[in-house]
Amino acid sequence: MLNSSIVTPKRALLLCILVVVLAAPAAAGSIERTITPQEGGLDITLTVNDIPVGGIVETLPEGCTWMGTDHPEDRTRVSGEKVAFAIIGEETITYQVQGPQDAAEAFAGTWEDLLTGDSGVVGLDEPGNPEQADATTPPSTPGFGCAAALAALAVLCSRRCGR
Amino acid sequence: MVAAVPCDGDGDGTLTAPELATAILDSLDARYMGGTVAAPSLTDLQDAAFVYEHWDGRALTITDTSGRTTTLTRPLNRIALFNSDAIRMMRSIGLEPDRVVGVAKYVLEDPVFYPEYQEKANLGSVWSPDYEQTASVRPDAVFLYASVSETSCADIEKTLRAIDPAIHFFRIDSFRPAVYADEVRTLGLLLGKEEEAREFLAFHEDVTGTVADVVDTIPDEDRVPVYLETWNAYKSAGMGSGYDEKVWLAGGRNIFGENPVEYPVVDPEAVISRNPAVIIKIVGAGETTFGGYDDDDLASFESVLRSIENRPVWDRIKAVRDGRVHLIHSKIIGGPDYFIGTAYLAKWFYPDLFADLDPRAIHQRYLDEFQRLDYDLDDHGTFVYPA
Repeated sequence: MLNSSIVTPKRALLLCILVVVLAAPAAAGSIERTITPQEGGLDITLTVNDIPVGGIVETLPEGCTWMGTDHPEDRTRVSGEKVAFAIIGEETITYQVQGPQDAAEAFAGTWEDLLTGDSGVVGLDEPGNPEQADATTPPSTPGFGCAAALAALAVLCSRRCGR
Repeated sequence: MVAAVPCDGDGDGTLTAPELATAILDSLDARYMGGTVAAPSLTDLQDAAFVYEHWDGRALTITDTSGRTTTLTRPLNRIALFNSDAIRMMRSIGLEPDRVVGVAKYVLEDPVFYPEYQEKANLGSVWSPDYEQTASVRPDAVFLYASVSETSCADIEKTLRAIDPAIHFFRIDSFRPAVYADEVRTLGLLLGKEEEAREFLAFHEDVTGTVADVVDTIPDEDRVPVYLETWNAYKSAGMGSGYDEKVWLAGGRNIFGENPVEYPVVDPEAVISRNPAVIIKIVGAGETTFGGYDDDDLASFESVLRSIENRPVWDRIKAVRDGRVHLIHSKIIGGPDYFIGTAYLAKWFYPDLFADLDPRAIHQRYLDEFQRLDYDLDDHGTFVYPA
């Protein structure tokens, strides 16, 4: 039995994260996001790894305005701050937004692999629950808590790495 | 009437990239962006993605080993396997276990070799099917043998079809060398594992080709005469049987290969008079139920070997005199893993010609790369004796 006095909240969180990471599938797709500052805005490149057919929903940060994309028009849909991309064989997707450069840390996105059923958070290597990436979407599946922990860790890491 | 391909917007029978893209965007819009557009269900969308990626956006029409043609417009995701050999062939091409809903009882009796299938529904066997259980797992496809127990398989099909006419039935053998490669390719296409099927067949053909390149140069009259005995004493293999074919593939000449009975019980005197140079005894079932993946003790192999050598007057047989009696487990000669067994046979038939052939290494690679099992032949298992 664990001695409660030696399981600090930080340790408990670490254990929770560790369990989640160990439970993740060994081989799966992922989407990386690379953001390059431009005059008056940002260029965002999404690199698609091992997702032949799927979808991505990006949530633009507050203060950012959609400008355009190199992705085919009939595979892109914009609605308010949300942008959906259909992936059919593409390996990269680039889009542009107008807005402050410090918005780079506030992009959020989810992806789905329609062949494997896997889904995850843009910018994380492992699949998780995509619903956690969108703070405005209420959690509705059992995995939400753990996925949220992963997303929180990702944000924490990106902020610390940026210092 | 064939069902429509999911998400085929114009209904012309071909799911195009623009149609798939629209379906994906409609689905994302409805689920994540607050859109109110009519969207396909996630199941339809995933099925459409599969059909687009693996079947070029069209219905797939395939012919199985029995010659029956089936047309599919969706992937198979609830597979019931009465054919316990097919599961090894499917595992070789990377079928995800979660696409299987039920297996034959033999799979559940072998947790060492089939660890990932132990929680699946027990369908019974081809000879004693559990219809209630099979129907309860709502299979979209049932796999049966093509040329084994044809009457029983036909009964299963008839009964299950009456329960659910939507079930697709496929007949494959998974153990006959003559149709092996075709069956792997068919399964690859059917299950969306085309690349994995190509990789596995490359391995399979590397092994079988290595043996064939050598034995095909041996004139028929110079082939090693072989007596093959199945797990029951004096029960051999006749013309057209799987074991007769495997002896031939390994470069041997079955001394009862002209017998029209598939598995004839032979007279011991006939074996003596035909004087085989090599004797092969199959173990692992019937009177010799030992060995395999969950048995590390060779004592039973040794005992059976001695009993064969000590049969009355068998010391006159060349194979016995020369110490060329070998036992091999049915797990590596009788089913879809047969090419491991034929490599052993070839090495036993022609030790000089196959000095560099390493059947054990082939077996280990098969387990590691294609069966995806954490199983070390250095530590476990008994399959051949003497090696």
